[in-house]
Amino acid sequence: MNLTGVSGAIVAIIASLAIVACGGSGSSSTSSGGTSSTSSGGGGSATINGAGSTLAEPIYQQWGSSLSSQGLTVNYQGTGSGAGIAQLQAGTVDFAASDPPMKPTEVAAGKGPVAQFPIAFGAITVSYNESGVKSGLKLDGKTIADIFLGKVKNWNDPEIAGLNPGVKLPSTAITVIHRSDSSGTTKGFTTFLSDYSPAWTAAAGKPDKIVNWPIGTGAKGNAGVAAAIKQTPGAIGYLDQTFALQGGFTYASVKNSSGHYVLPSLTATAAAAIGIPIPANLAISTINSPNPAAYPIVSQTFLIVYHDMCKEGVTKSAAAGVKKFITYGLGPGQAIEKQLQYAPLPPTILAKDKAQLATLTCNGSPLT
Amino acid sequence: MTASGGRSGLERSRLGRLPDRVFEIGLRSLAAAVLLLIAYFFARLIGQSSAAFGHIGVLNFIFRNNWDVAQLQPGGACTTANDLHCTFGAWALVLGTLISSAIALVIGVPVAVATALYLTELCPRRARQPLSILVDLLAAVPSVVYGLVGLLVLIPQLSGFQQSLANTFSFLPFVGGQVAGPSYFIAGLVLAIMILPIVSAISREVISTVPSEHKEAALALGATRWEMIRIAVLPYARPGITGGAMLGLGRAIGETIAVVLVIGASTKLGQSIFQQGYTLAAAPANEFAEAAATPVHRSALFAAGLILFVLTLAVNIVARRFVVRGTRGRFGATVVFTPELEAEGQ
Amino acid sequence: MSALPEVSARRRRTDVLMRGLLAAGTVIALIPLLLVIYTLLKKGLPAFSMNFFTTDPNGNFLGYPGGIRSAIVGTILVVALAALISIPIGIAVALYLTEYGKESRFANLVRYFVDVMTGVPSIVFGLFVYMVLVLGHVGGGFAAWKGSVALSLLMIPIVIRSSEVVLLLVPASLREAALALGAPRWRVVTRVVLPTSLSGLVTGSLLAIARGAGETAPLLFTVFGANVLTANLGQQMNTLPLQIFSDVQQASNALVTRAWGAALTLVLMILVLNVIARLASIRSRAS
Repeated sequence: MNLTGVSGAIVAIIASLAIVACGGSGSSSTSSGGTSSTSSGGGGSATINGAGSTLAEPIYQQWGSSLSSQGLTVNYQGTGSGAGIAQLQAGTVDFAASDPPMKPTEVAAGKGPVAQFPIAFGAITVSYNESGVKSGLKLDGKTIADIFLGKVKNWNDPEIAGLNPGVKLPSTAITVIHRSDSSGTTKGFTTFLSDYSPAWTAAAGKPDKIVNWPIGTGAKGNAGVAAAIKQTPGAIGYLDQTFALQGGFTYASVKNSSGHYVLPSLTATAAAAIGIPIPANLAISTINSPNPAAYPIVSQTFLIVYHDMCKEGVTKSAAAGVKKFITYGLGPGQAIEKQLQYAPLPPTILAKDKAQLATLTCNGSPLT
Repeated sequence: MTASGGRSGLERSRLGRLPDRVFEIGLRSLAAAVLLLIAYFFARLIGQSSAAFGHIGVLNFIFRNNWDVAQLQPGGACTTANDLHCTFGAWALVLGTLISSAIALVIGVPVAVATALYLTELCPRRARQPLSILVDLLAAVPSVVYGLVGLLVLIPQLSGFQQSLANTFSFLPFVGGQVAGPSYFIAGLVLAIMILPIVSAISREVISTVPSEHKEAALALGATRWEMIRIAVLPYARPGITGGAMLGLGRAIGETIAVVLVIGASTKLGQSIFQQGYTLAAAPANEFAEAAATPVHRSALFAAGLILFVLTLAVNIVARRFVVRGTRGRFGATVVFTPELEAEGQ
Repeated sequence: MSALPEVSARRRRTDVLMRGLLAAGTVIALIPLLLVIYTLLKKGLPAFSMNFFTTDPNGNFLGYPGGIRSAIVGTILVVALAALISIPIGIAVALYLTEYGKESRFANLVRYFVDVMTGVPSIVFGLFVYMVLVLGHVGGGFAAWKGSVALSLLMIPIVIRSSEVVLLLVPASLREAALALGAPRWRVVTRVVLPTSLSGLVTGSLLAIARGAGETAPLLFTVFGANVLTANLGQQMNTLPLQIFSDVQQASNALVTRAWGAALTLVLMILVLNVIARLASIRSRAS
């Protein structure tokens, strides 16, 4: 075997693959000399980069998939809400996705004022993998907190049995699964727990994207929690409904603020968004919604960009691409959310989102 | 070539020597550039870690057990460098690194040395080459694939085994109790598999340098094959094998991706070796995205990387006193030649 | 001549036992390899299909999640750029060490630091490039070429060391003969030393490339990842290790299967490189 011949063959293969790549890529473009991570292109093709919430990841990936045929390439990395915000603050992504809105301190640590767009609502289920327990186990906030505190150790504990008279519960031990990364889903879930259990706040601290879990196994991302629950008999964890449905998990009926036990569903999730206060900066929260028909652990999720993207380092074409992305999301994207089992925006919030979109600027002038 | 007119035809003019000088200076500058790059790399790494060290001190960083990321977030207690509420320490990471590597050595080195002894002393001649190649092939598998197999095959299959080990040996400290799926033990097991080729290859080379007179003398005196190995081979090869084990240790300490997938990334020190843990290499891989905008957090991750680097450096320097790879000898050290494995990162 | 003392039954038993243990140890050492190969084939082959190699990950949450085309192309591009950077530099530095520097203090200093670099965990290189190039916003945020830079930092010491070994094997007599004929030093290097050691240099380079292709940690915070096929090295790009790392942590069976298929593909690519390199080295040692 002639070695130079082999090396030549390898170079030829690489070269031909590169040619195929160039020819096959639908949105390849030359990079501009800007200070951002995105590129400019001719004829309406652009690439935008985002990172953040794993709860919302299915939505953005699906929108990106639909938009790729229209010349917009969307790279989204599900790194967790906290990491997404951090990337936006550092200026390495064009948009961030976070379930909780950015705190004033977080905005101050970034490069400039931000615009936060509520995008969808997802139910945070309390999913479990215990063959002896069917779906719809009735649990209330205090009991769930006690489970995650380690006070309730087995499935047939009196506290659980008391809420579910007549249901046969196995004596297996409960394994708690929680998030190990900085997670908006955690913040939503712990907000709910804090509302019903002062003991929880005392042990784990204030609701936040990362808390001091007293017990349990950590996993990364909603997907990681789903994988961990799947692999561990007797496990219980908090998980966005889309992931729970994909994994075929059983989940609990949780008691809401009006005393009803509600199973997560599209209607119950959508109900959580009705009747909540809407501040001027659209930083809404749907946890423990006052609506009597609502599932109590519904999380909102935001798409966050700088108010003046170009000033903070995003190229003009990428900024235009982000606007196209959000416009699509507030339009046909809402129907896609329903298919993925997220509740779309009610008309009031949708209108405010569209109004906010129109106020985005690029270096001072309105963004087209 | 005939000389003509006094000057030898082979002597080149000053001008003729110019390309040579240019070539030499070019190559030397390149080597110097590489050196400068390495120095810059050191400097940058130390510079990046200085914020974290400056805040709580190097010793505190290493020995304090409080890798509480929540405090390091923007809006948390550690936003400014002189925030008095900000304390953190990487002891859980350091200990996790040491524990998983120790488990890797305990499991991997005996198997590697046994393999080396078998392949050099006992194996039928024709099987030696193919079997050696098979063992070396472990080094070519990328670490992410080991992580994949560890996470999706070893953890589910071995959870029962881990529990029975925990129960049987529960009298030992840090063994009994509940078993998590991902654990120090699984990480140590995966690392053992990853260091197997390097320890085995070096041991093989070292054992093959044992002078045959020693072996023949033992056999001539009536020793059985095992006794010959015990008397003639092992004592002679022990320093080299120790060096190989240390190089394996260095590899285990620095492994990132396979460990981050199977150790569970728990910021608290696990109660037993069958619980989740964390290592110095896994922390940056896991948390860099969250730390992008928090200088203190980022600095802490760099500091963890620096400590990791210093650890690997120390282990490799000590290893070099026992075994030297390549062609340059060192006083007392055994010289082995394993180019393929070097390139495979082992 | 008196006969040697009889080997006692106890000693014979120990002998048989220990030899059995050593053989068992070897079998144990082979189990992981067989396990990896078996699992890769069993779980990875079902992923293989025409679609798998010709479509990109499409982000579909329900239904077919797409193939790994962009990952394969991305790996080739990122590693090719890393090779383009590291191999010439590595061979050049090795040439300096063997032809000019030899045992001088400067050369030994270079050798020592190169030795030091081979022990650096790959994630530390990734952190360095992240700090200097990504957060420093050199030409944008995450980009494929920055991943190549991180990989080449890893590969350069490997290429230097393996090349130096190969170059030292060139007989001094060949060099001296060329010098005696009046050839200038640089001609000796380019016309005599390099061609003689070419196959060894190629072997070392191929192995360094195989190493770079399998690395994930340096790419985590430099390339960051993508879905769509792109040949633009100034953008985020998909690569096989990143794709596997991302898919393995998912709960969806389709994604996990894709992870296995991608892992099998990556291992096959690396295996091919290794086989070529080993065959070349056997041939060059034989000649």
